[in-house]
This record gives sequence, structure tokens and C-alpha cells, in this order.
Amino acid sequence: MDNMIIQSKDLSKIYLRGAEKIVAVDSVSIDIKEGEFVSFIGPSGSGKTSLLHLLGCLDNPDQGELIVDVFSIMKDGKSLSEKKLTPIRRDLFGYIFQKFYLIPTLTVKENILLPYAFMPRNGERQSAEAIAEKLGLAHRLTHLPKELSGGEMQRVAIARALINKPKILLADEPTGNLDSKRSDEIAGILSDLNKEDQITIILVTHNPVLAAKAGRIIELEDGRIRD
Amino acid sequence: MPGISGIAYKNLRRKRLRSVLTVFGIALSTWVLVSLFGFNKGYEASLNKDIDNLGFQVLLTAKGCPYEAATLMLQGGKGLRYMPEGIVDSLKTNPEVDELTPMLMQTVFDVNKGEEGGVVGYLGIDPQTYPKMKTYLKFNQGNWFTQNDAMEAVMGYEAAELEQREVGDMILIPEKEIEVKIVGVLKRSGTQDDGTIFLPYKTVQQIFGLPGQLTSVGIKVNKSVDITAYEEELYKIPDVQVVSMAQVKNTISNLVSTARVMVMSIAIIAILIAMVGVINTILMSVLERYQEIGIMKSMGATTAHIFRLIWFETIMLCFAGGVIGSAMSAVLGKVTDSVIRYILPYAPTGSLVRIDLALVVRAIGIIVAIGLFSGIYPALRAARIRPIEAIRSADGEF
Amino acid sequence: MKHKLIFLLLILLPILLSAATGCDLQDPDKDVKRLFPGSTGFKTSYLSVAKSGGKALLTRIETALGDKFSGTYETMDVPYTLYHVYKNKTLLGYVHGVNQKGQYGGLQVFLALDPGGKILGFYYQKLSSKNGAKFKSTAFTNQFVGLSLADFKTLDIKTGKGSGRAAAIKNPAGTDKDFLFTLRGIKKNLVLMNVFIYKK
Repeated sequence: MDNMIIQSKDLSKIYLRGAEKIVAVDSVSIDIKEGEFVSFIGPSGSGKTSLLHLLGCLDNPDQGELIVDVFSIMKDGKSLSEKKLTPIRRDLFGYIFQKFYLIPTLTVKENILLPYAFMPRNGERQSAEAIAEKLGLAHRLTHLPKELSGGEMQRVAIARALINKPKILLADEPTGNLDSKRSDEIAGILSDLNKEDQITIILVTHNPVLAAKAGRIIELEDGRIRD
Repeated sequence: MPGISGIAYKNLRRKRLRSVLTVFGIALSTWVLVSLFGFNKGYEASLNKDIDNLGFQVLLTAKGCPYEAATLMLQGGKGLRYMPEGIVDSLKTNPEVDELTPMLMQTVFDVNKGEEGGVVGYLGIDPQTYPKMKTYLKFNQGNWFTQNDAMEAVMGYEAAELEQREVGDMILIPEKEIEVKIVGVLKRSGTQDDGTIFLPYKTVQQIFGLPGQLTSVGIKVNKSVDITAYEEELYKIPDVQVVSMAQVKNTISNLVSTARVMVMSIAIIAILIAMVGVINTILMSVLERYQEIGIMKSMGATTAHIFRLIWFETIMLCFAGGVIGSAMSAVLGKVTDSVIRYILPYAPTGSLVRIDLALVVRAIGIIVAIGLFSGIYPALRAARIRPIEAIRSADGEF
Repeated sequence: MKHKLIFLLLILLPILLSAATGCDLQDPDKDVKRLFPGSTGFKTSYLSVAKSGGKALLTRIETALGDKFSGTYETMDVPYTLYHVYKNKTLLGYVHGVNQKGQYGGLQVFLALDPGGKILGFYYQKLSSKNGAKFKSTAFTNQFVGLSLADFKTLDIKTGKGSGRAAAIKNPAGTDKDFLFTLRGIKKNLVLMNVFIYKK
């Protein structure tokens, strides 16, 4: 269980806002073990979301090294091309966001199965029903997103993130749009996924209750890890 | 389990009014396009049929002689010139000739016609060859003459109506005071034969004392022959003039090409408008779904997937518009016909706009191709969206 | 170029001629002026048996005429052209012509009528006959002036026999059948005028 699934060394991300240079992530070195539940906390602008995007291969780092599973995402100042990143994102990761990003024209079931539209046809497939059952959405499969509550929508987004059996689940403020009762519900689900299915979870949150579910809490400030 | 086409289809239903309006725009362009193709085809065919209805492509007349009985009457019956019957035999030896038909026109002055009297014309024809060239002539009553020199007449529908003649009735040739029996009344043909009184040409020669004389010879040329070159040959015969139907056809075609250019410009403008409409619709729908598309890319959608998704939407709009537009052009064919008839300086009889399956398939093909072309830019814009940009633009945080 | 134009005209000619054939004046302005010298204008209307009453009307017309409508050309939908002649706003009378089958061709029998139905003038616009001059002579045509439908009531148009002023008119050309056809044409003209206008 001590296999590292994510290893970063001196990872940096710099944005230009006009003439101003903003160092969003500043030389972050972090190792995450397979099956670990890590949460990033910190004030707004601390770089926690940017770091999540880098580790989740959604964004390209500017400096440093990054290895995810067996793939060298960033090495010797060069990151993998968008074309090579696409299957890595597809096969390794599941993403959950504060805004659920469900497709409004598709039913719950279709939203859950959406990733399969972009996958090779011969791959192993799970049924939407099984995941829906697990997340308490079984009775909602034929509904459209606008007919759901916020908590249900986030559960649909989680189901969608899980359909391709990811090794790593990235969650960016997953409870940001939910009341405390729903937040607890989502926190419970993430915790169960980590314990029962050994999915590696990286969470970004303001919510201390949610952060406390994690096995390791990393605090960020000005793009750096606070010791 | 949604496929990419399913997602595309459902997206079009999201902004239903916008999709419907776009489809309608495309349908209108298709209508114009199909009608234009149909016109190019139908017009040519109708014109050819009109020329074919004249039966012969070349008319040889004695120099200075009017061409047909109706013209002769319009000119007051003056100016008849003759050529010897023997010319038919010498023409028969020409390899270019498919069929020949001799004709002899005559007019008389009828003092009882109107207040001041008027001209009546007769066309002497050969019952063996003339009907074969004018196969469109059908009988309302009776038939052609019983003998080559019978005292019999066949009347065009309008001539018969004017004279209130039926088969078995007599007509009187004024001046000569000769009675001729009606053996046939033709159906309306829409040509000037409707107003013509036909007699065997030998009978006309006999009644008017013109043995061995003709006024004209109709020549049907073999299909492979260069008519223009053959006409030059014919001009070498002394004291004849050559009237070519091919020439007429060219004149009319020239008249029409101007109108066609106009219609073509309208079609191109219509297509451009539809194209701009498609680009606008699809581009708006791409920009509105910036984040959705970004999320799809984070799920593993490749550039090709997204490109396909947007292209599908374009194809569906264009295909629907193409099919509806084709249906419109088929249903409204008559309307289009009369609109074109109104615009054109000269329109032949028969349907001007001919729409068939091949044409519809071609038009839909063109519209879909134009749609694909219009879809390239929006699809590229969509395909280039990077997941991070889409997500960041929504969250406004980093 | 001249040849081409003539040919264009030839091709267009059937289109110009294709209107249904009724019985119109050849030159209405001149003809009306000749028949009604005091007239200042006229109005044209188009009537047919089919439009005015159909089959029932046809039966009435045939009874009044004493003969059936027959042949290919004497049908219910033949259009009749009726000229209403005015002097300023006063109605002077009517001009009305009919087609009538004759011995050697169509007769066009025109009547000028006063507003009460009395014949003011009669002439052939068209006639094919060996005895054309005799039929067209005023000695013959003027005999009809002053008559109205009532004078034709007992006239049998198949034999020319009967009583009254119309039956007294003699054939100007011996036994030429066009005489009887003329009588039929005039009576048909009067009968139609009666059903269209006078309604007596």
C-alpha cells in the first residue's frame, strides 16, 4: 500500500496578469500514496486549487517534475502534450467540482454514462444502475438535472466521476454550493469511497468538517506548503 | 448510453426556437437551390421539346416565301414563292437527311369573312411523311386523309371550332367554290397547327393549278449530323432560304441566360445567408457550452470527439433543412414555375422546373457540404478548448 | 436577326391564340360606332349558360329555341360576349353575337338590339357560302329589323315555317340551307338575350 501514486518535486505554476507575475504554485514537492485521502486547505488565493489542477493533469506546470502513476507528466521542463494527457485523465482520474457541470439536456443516467461516449468501445463497463444505487440515485435515473436538488446533483457528478473506475478522485470544493446537511452527506460518501474502494482522494475545501475526513491535511499559503 | 450524435441531437433541442429558425433558413436556401437546379434541367428539356414539336430542325423555303401558313395569313396572304417538287428527290439523296416532308401553302381571299373580307390559308401536306414528323398531333375526331389527292381536309382544333366543323361536314374554298370534306379534327396541341386547315398537298396543287410546285420542305436531320454545317450545304441550292430551329433555340437561350444569372445570384446570396446563420447558431452554442465542453475533455473527450460533436449538430441542422427545403420545392413546384414564368422573357410550354430524386439528393448533398464547411470554424473553436480554461473561467479562482 | 424574331413570334403565337373561342366583335370600337352611330362608349360582359343557370337553364333555352344544342362546339360553357352600348349614361342597347354552324363553315350572327329587345340591326361577321352576297345584302338583312323574340315564337327553325313576321321572311338563295341556319342563329341569339338580359 505504500506505492506512490503522485510524486511532485519543486512544482511551480506562474500566471501573468497584465505585467504582474503571480506565482500560484511555488516549488511544491509532495508525495501522495495510493489509497490516501489528502485535503488541501488554505485561504483564497493560497494556490490550493491551482495545485489540484496540476496534480490532476488539468493544467501544465511551468517548472518542476511530476509523476502520476507510471507516467512522467512533467520532466526536464517539458510536460506531456494535450493529446497524451487526454487518455491519462480519462483512465486515472475522476473529477468533482463545486459547480456540478452536469449536461442539462441529458438525463441522470446519460450524465453518469457520459464518459463512455469518449472511450474505446471494447473497454470494461459498469452499469449506471449499480453506481446510482450506491449513491442513492436509483429513483432519479430518468430525471433531468434541473429536477434534482443540489445534493443529488453533486451525487450525480460523483457517480459520473466514478463510472470509469478512477484510481484518483479530485474534488474541488465539492460542498461549496451545498448546505451543511448535504455537505455531511457528500463528506460521508467520499470517506466511504476511500475506505471501501481504496480510491485515492485529493480534496480542496474551506470546510473544516470535510477536511477533517482526510487522513492528511496539507495547508497552503502563497502557493507554498506550510510546515 | 448516449453516443456523440445523441448528445448533439439533444443539444439542438435545448434552444428549440433557434434551431428551428436555422433549419428554416437552410430550408429556404435549399428550396432556391433545388428549384434552380430543377429549372436548369426542366427549362432545357422543355425548350428541346418545343423545338422537337416543330418536327423538323430545318425548313427549306423558296426564297422570300413566308415560313408557315399562320405567318402567311398575318402577312395578308402575300409573298408566296414556289420551288419545284423535284427538290425533294434530290434532297433525299443527302446522307444527312433522316426524313423529308413537302409542303404547299395557299391562301384565298374570302369576301364573306368579316366586314371587309379576309384571307384564309391552307397548308398542303404529305399524309405519308407529315404525321410522322408531328407525332404530337392527335385526333379529336376522325383521321388523316384517305388518299394522297383526296378532296379532304383535316382541321386544327381552333380552326374547327371557328368554323363549327365536325367530321363529315363540308367546307367551301372561296374563289374556287370547291367543296372539301372534313375527315379529321385534331386535339389542341398548343402550337400554331391548332389554327391550320390541312389538305393533301397534291389536292392543293390540283385546286390551285400548281402542278409540281411546293412552297417549303421540312427536313429532319440525322441526330449525329452537325446542323450548322449542313445548313451551309443547303444554301448552295439556288433560290431557297434555310430556316433553322437550332438558331431559334440559341436566340432564346441567350435571352434566358441573363435571367438565369440573376436567379443564380439570388441562390448564392441565399446560400451565404444560410451559411452565416449556421455559423452563428453553432458558434453561439459552442460559446454557451464552453464549460460543458471543457468538462467533457477532462473526462477524456479528444479534440476529434468534440469536433465530431459540433459537426454532428451542423449536419443535423443542414440535413433537416435540406429535406424540408426539398419537400417544399416539390410541393411548391407549380408556384416556382409561375414565378419563373413571370420573370423570364420567354418560357417554353411544359413544366419549367423538373425535380427528381437525383436532383434532390444532389441539393441536400450540397447543403450538407456547405453545412460541414460552415461547421469547421465553430468545431475547431470547440475542439481547441482546454479543460483548465473552461473550469477556471467558471470558478474565477486559481 | 429578322428571321429569328419571326420565329419567336411563331412560337409565341399559340400562346396568344389559346384563349377560349367565344364570339367577339372583330373591332369593337369601330363596330359599335357603326351599329349605334350616336354611342359614346360601351361596356363588355361575359356570360355562359353554365355560369348563369346550368343544366336547368339549358333545357329552358332548348325549349324556347325548339331545338337541342348539339355538336362539339355548342356547349354550356361557351362564353358569350355582350356589349352594353351607352350614350353618355343612357343605355342605347346591346350588341350580341353567336356562333352558328352553317353549311360550309361557322356563321357569326350579330344583332344590335334596343333596351327592350327589338332588333335594330343584323349582320354576319362571318359566313362561308356560295351565296354570300345574297345573304349579306341589306334587302335580306333589313327584313329582321324591328322584330323581337315574340315574332320568332311560332317559327320552326328546322323548316322555316310558322306564323308571324319572322316566318314571312323568304330564303334569298333558293333552297340554300344557310337560310335555315341563319334563322336558328338569330333565334338562338334572341333566346339567349332573353335569359341573360330581358328575362321576359
